[in-house]
Amino acid sequence: MALTETPKTELDLIQQAQAGDTWAFGELVRHHFSPVVNVAYRICGEMTLAEDMAQETFLRAWVNLNSFQPTGSLKNWLYRITVNATLDVLRRKSDMPMDDEVVQMIQDPTPDPETSLVQKERSENLQKLLRSLPLATRNVLVLREFGELSYQEIASVLDIPIGTVMSRLNYARTRLRDLLKEQPSMQEAYA
Amino acid sequence: MHNQLFPLLNAYLDGELRGPRLRDMERHLTDCETCQRELDELRRVSDLLRAAPLPAFTPADRFASNLTLLLPRRPQRSQPRRVPSPTWWLVPAGLLGLWFFLQTVSALTNFVYAADASGLLGQVAPGLNVGPTQTAWFTATSNLFGVQMSASLQSTLSLLNQFNVLGAGLVQGVFWQAGILALCIIWFLAWKISGETAPVNNL
Ligand SMILES: [Zn+2]
Repeated sequence: MALTETPKTELDLIQQAQAGDTWAFGELVRHHFSPVVNVAYRICGEMTLAEDMAQETFLRAWVNLNSFQPTGSLKNWLYRITVNATLDVLRRKSDMPMDDEVVQMIQDPTPDPETSLVQKERSENLQKLLRSLPLATRNVLVLREFGELSYQEIASVLDIPIGTVMSRLNYARTRLRDLLKEQPSMQEAYA
Repeated sequence: MHNQLFPLLNAYLDGELRGPRLRDMERHLTDCETCQRELDELRRVSDLLRAAPLPAFTPADRFASNLTLLLPRRPQRSQPRRVPSPTWWLVPAGLLGLWFFLQTVSALTNFVYAADASGLLGQVAPGLNVGPTQTAWFTATSNLFGVQMSASLQSTLSLLNQFNVLGAGLVQGVFWQAGILALCIIWFLAWKISGETAPVNNL
């Protein structure tokens, strides 16, 4: 048995990182960057902001890593930090308004204009609809659709009763359905 | 049935229904067109969201290596909670011992005084000398008016003297117990101040 050959488990990495090993923490960041930045992006709707939120999430995670119980899910713990970091970032951002369209134009690379234009427009539209939901409702929907958490997990990540998870999800999907029906550009995708 | 199940369509869509509820829903969906339509619409919203493309984020490798450069030094905490050294524990242990000792001495003294006052001591242990149980004012008053004092006055004074001795004992007891308590509080505060403050969990 070549023990040195076996890849480190997440638990090993967590314990090493808790002991102060930055390399181990870097490995954890590498594994969890994608889900964290996706959730952040769906909540805030801007790429650069989403990466800032992901960075904030991992910095806070590093500082507080010793309070994480390795019996729990690291991903869910990170989501919890992301949601709270988002709240702070959006609060800070509301002090200096930014033009969303301009930011999106600068940031979003458009590799193939012909085919992706409709898709890009549709995606932006969807993000706009998402952002029209109240933040508390949006968080629940995002954790369900993009974080792929169960109702119980969402309840514990957001510290809310499971009944609230259900009612917010009902509201979010019904509201989006109604908004989509009103949008002529989305009707094709929706129908 | 429809009114109960309609609000659960999202939970059904998300695979959150179990047991009889799930069976009720499946049975109901076979013959309720309203619920079928609603479920289809909700599913389409969910599919549309999940299919929405993501922008090209920084690759995870690059993000991770950039981030590790930003990590601040974290205070090493091998022990999650600070445990005071044995020397620290000696202080409250000593104070507890002192309290116990003084309490015992006080109880014994009271017992001996009570036994002496009731005249038991003389019979049981004639050699044992209890010593003065008189307060200064009682001694002075007795010496001054000793002969002239009537028997009733003398017994009243004697009774007052007993109360005074008992009262002084109580006051002393309260004082030294408060003293020990104060020392305990000082010890605790000293321990708190000398110890590192636990990091605040501000996630
Ligand atoms: Zn129905």
